[in-house]
Amino acid sequence: MIVELTSGPDIAAAKNLIKRNGLSFEEGFDELFGIHESDELVAVGARAGNILKMLIVEPSHQGGPLLGEMATALVSRGLDAGFESLFIYTKPEYVRTFEALNFTLLANQGRAALLEYGNGLRNWLAAKRSLVRTGMNGAVVMNCNPFTKGHLYLAESAARQVDNLYLFVVREDRSLFPFDVRFRLVQEGVRNISNVILLDTSRYIVSGATFPTYFLKQDDPVARIQMELDITLFSSRIAPFFGITRRFVGTEPNCKLTNSYNDTMKRLLPDYAIELVEIERKEALSGVISASRVRELMARNELAQLDDYVPASTLAFLASEAAEPIRRQLQFDMRR
Amino acid sequence: MNILKRGQAGTMQSSDLMVIVEPADKLIIEIESTVKKQFEHLIRARLEQVLDKFGVASGRISISDRGALDYAIEARLETALQRAGGA
Repeated sequence: MIVELTSGPDIAAAKNLIKRNGLSFEEGFDELFGIHESDELVAVGARAGNILKMLIVEPSHQGGPLLGEMATALVSRGLDAGFESLFIYTKPEYVRTFEALNFTLLANQGRAALLEYGNGLRNWLAAKRSLVRTGMNGAVVMNCNPFTKGHLYLAESAARQVDNLYLFVVREDRSLFPFDVRFRLVQEGVRNISNVILLDTSRYIVSGATFPTYFLKQDDPVARIQMELDITLFSSRIAPFFGITRRFVGTEPNCKLTNSYNDTMKRLLPDYAIELVEIERKEALSGVISASRVRELMARNELAQLDDYVPASTLAFLASEAAEPIRRQLQFDMRR
Repeated sequence: MNILKRGQAGTMQSSDLMVIVEPADKLIIEIESTVKKQFEHLIRARLEQVLDKFGVASGRISISDRGALDYAIEARLETALQRAGGA
């Protein structure tokens, strides 16, 4: 029978089983499940949000019902928790095993593979079919936390170099500015660029599933694997659907992780006949424009200076009543 | 009957299927199956038969099947519908 593992000895046994089978035990899960046989732990699996991980069946017990039982529990719990889609990272040699459980392969990077339960990606793309344009198309992916003159400059420069520019706003809600605000400010900011097609990244580009470490801003071997998976998924599934042959980024002087994401694109995109175009960052009189600088100014309540960094549409929001909780949050964070 | 909330039944075991039914504006049937190429039309026919029997006119019916036989498909869908309220 499947049980949730919560006691110290149970978790220690799970750690042992996971490590013995060549995976690393990662803290930070919502639930950890186990199956015992004759008082011995023979299968484990964990769920962290919409990601299933550390799914192991003891080799001597493989080939039976345990994997299906564990997968059923993890998927059911994930769906109960309200996630529309569930993802699993696994070793490439297990891709077939999970495909037999109706997972769909999203990307295989050589050392790790990312699969999704069900057909979320296909459904998402199908829903965007009316946005597909012929011609020479480019893409830019931006979080816009919040939308600055730098983002505007990047969008304008990119739009001039292609027939159509797909502007993907990161959907994942892990930034200070909530997604709907970020999206609306982009929409207002780019409305005079006629060949921009605005959409969001859903769960498939720089998301908590494809690239969770992005939001933690740590550059480590795990982050490297995730960014390669994220870029492989973009290049092999998303870009061909929209007919994208150029991806635009701004040069990144500050954030090491974003910089290494850009480098990885430079290395991988050509394999899929996509060109990476780097656009020099726009500078204001007082230095490079970045969203983090904007947040810093807001935290110090130096709203007058913002004019240099953000377009009028963003400025109007930042100074508005609606942005009061965000300003207060920033000022609070700075004082801590 | 009407599907009032999410209902789920079944497992991901071999020879079984997992059924999820949710409220929707129209009737949408999504079938994932390890034997989709050979049997999708038969699975769909069986699902439609059950939906007919319960008078379900709208909802999203998603199944992921691992080679379940007819009676399992019927039983799992019926259970999911009952859990979704109203049957």
